[in-house]
Amino acid sequence: TLRLICTTAAVQRKNVGASGPEKYTEAFIKKQIEEFNLGKRHLANMMGEDPETFTQEDIDRAIAYLFPSGLFDKQARPIMKHPTEVFPEQRKIQWGEDGRPFHFLFYTGKQSYYSLMHETYEKLLNVQKHQDQLIAQDLPLQKEKRNLAGSRWLTKIELEEMLLEKVSDDDYSRFIKLLQKLVSLPCADIEEKYIQKFSKEVPVQLQKVVIEPLQHDERGVAFSTGEGKRKTARATAVVYDNGTGKITVNGIDILHYFPVVQDREQLLFPFQFLGRIGKHDMVCTVSGGGRSAQAGAIRLASAKALRSFVTEKEVEFMRQAGLLTVDPRVKERKKPGQEGPRRKFTWKKR
Amino acid sequence: MAAPSAAGLGRRLRAWLPRIMPVRWSRYNPSYLEPEVKKESYQKPLEELTQEEREQMERKAVRPIKAAPPSLSSSVFSDPLISKFTNMMMKSGNKVLARSLMSQTLEAIKRKQLEKYHKAPENEKETIECNPYVIFHQALKNCQPIIGLSNITKGGKTYQVPVPLTDNRKRFLAMKWLITECRENKHRRTMMPEKLSQELLLAFNNEGPVIKRKHVLHKMAEANRAYAHFRWW
Repeated sequence: TLRLICTTAAVQRKNVGASGPEKYTEAFIKKQIEEFNLGKRHLANMMGEDPETFTQEDIDRAIAYLFPSGLFDKQARPIMKHPTEVFPEQRKIQWGEDGRPFHFLFYTGKQSYYSLMHETYEKLLNVQKHQDQLIAQDLPLQKEKRNLAGSRWLTKIELEEMLLEKVSDDDYSRFIKLLQKLVSLPCADIEEKYIQKFSKEVPVQLQKVVIEPLQHDERGVAFSTGEGKRKTARATAVVYDNGTGKITVNGIDILHYFPVVQDREQLLFPFQFLGRIGKHDMVCTVSGGGRSAQAGAIRLASAKALRSFVTEKEVEFMRQAGLLTVDPRVKERKKPGQEGPRRKFTWKKR
Repeated sequence: MAAPSAAGLGRRLRAWLPRIMPVRWSRYNPSYLEPEVKKESYQKPLEELTQEEREQMERKAVRPIKAAPPSLSSSVFSDPLISKFTNMMMKSGNKVLARSLMSQTLEAIKRKQLEKYHKAPENEKETIECNPYVIFHQALKNCQPIIGLSNITKGGKTYQVPVPLTDNRKRFLAMKWLITECRENKHRRTMMPEKLSQELLLAFNNEGPVIKRKHVLHKMAEANRAYAHFRWW
């Protein structure tokens, strides 16, 4: 070490940002976990509940009760969570006492990413060798195709969490392409376990929404309600069974409320798609928005109400026809320095 | 402008905004698929589908789908080509006027064809086409150019190089030529539906100014054949 003679105070001051984010030692994390568990039991005693069966939700409720906070941002309020959730997972020091790194790819900078690529390529070569062996023995190659639609690959963020280091977009796409190549080979079933580490299941869309059962009013007629919105318009629709096909909006017949053909076409779209034009009666209320937005809102509301009258397959068809999705398009805001959302001011040379 | 962070595929797909705001963007997450409105495609039984259609069906079952736009509907009267043409005719967002002009045009075509039909002798009655939609589609197809010209600057001079056109571009050029033709080359008193129906009937029979314009373009492309090697795509 050099002894600095003619220096200023600024040079001798510690450079805070140079060492990166704060590193936590293992002993520190262990101590935090012990303190957390102890604190959990104390809290349970204070609230008069059983320390053994005190869950995270109970902790959150207890903290919200004991430390009421008027702050708007939920994440600024006092939290008590397990230290593994509070302190981000960090890599331990990658080199030994003599300064020599443990991993052979340390000096590439992205050691986990490159080691992962090497492993995946090794699996690919294994599969190809297996394939060659099968061809040499004249055995048929297994052709059971994996169901690609039900699973998705890990996202970039999930991969970063797995590898504990930053992954760039290019690197991520290269890794996904390699995985896809591995999956496309016929004998990829051997490496199924390895591939499952990087794929997640995607549930079928339909199962996420609950369809309400039909209700019956005083006369015994089955009906169901639905709500819809489009831009600023909000609509509620009540669809009755055994009807003549009459549609009333805010107490007015659709012929008078929507003089334009396009809006009436939109109102009839769900009924025409299911083939039930003359069979249902509809009464709706709508407010806000303009002419087309109100029509779109009523269309969504009636489609949602019709779900209860119809089989599951037809509900799936309606969803694929775009009848059950809320249209997220709204008016784009005006930006400063421009006349409108996209139009710029007239350019003048001087 | 401020760009909120994007939601991952696993979380609830709200009205989505990307990390960096590109110039052309949409409020839908890129994983949303286009809706299929026609009823016939849903009534096909499972056995008739090819392998690709089956895979597409499975993909559609898992991915979310965009909402159908207000101009699209499953009724027999809505036609994507007619809606595109109506949108191109529209001025300052007056869709009501554009749509009424379109329906008046189709009515005018039908009337003219029916007149011709009733006047024609028996043997020619089958050859006369009365369906205005069929006439519209056929007229547009006849007006579509096969090859287009593009300006390529090489060595300081700009050359007109013959270039193949995509389907979308051909359709767009045909519709644009029809509309400009009807707006400019008419007498002050003639209404748009009348003039449009006239032009459509002429184009249906491969006559008229729009077809001439297409032929002129083809001749120019043929004349500039020598420069075709300037194209690098």
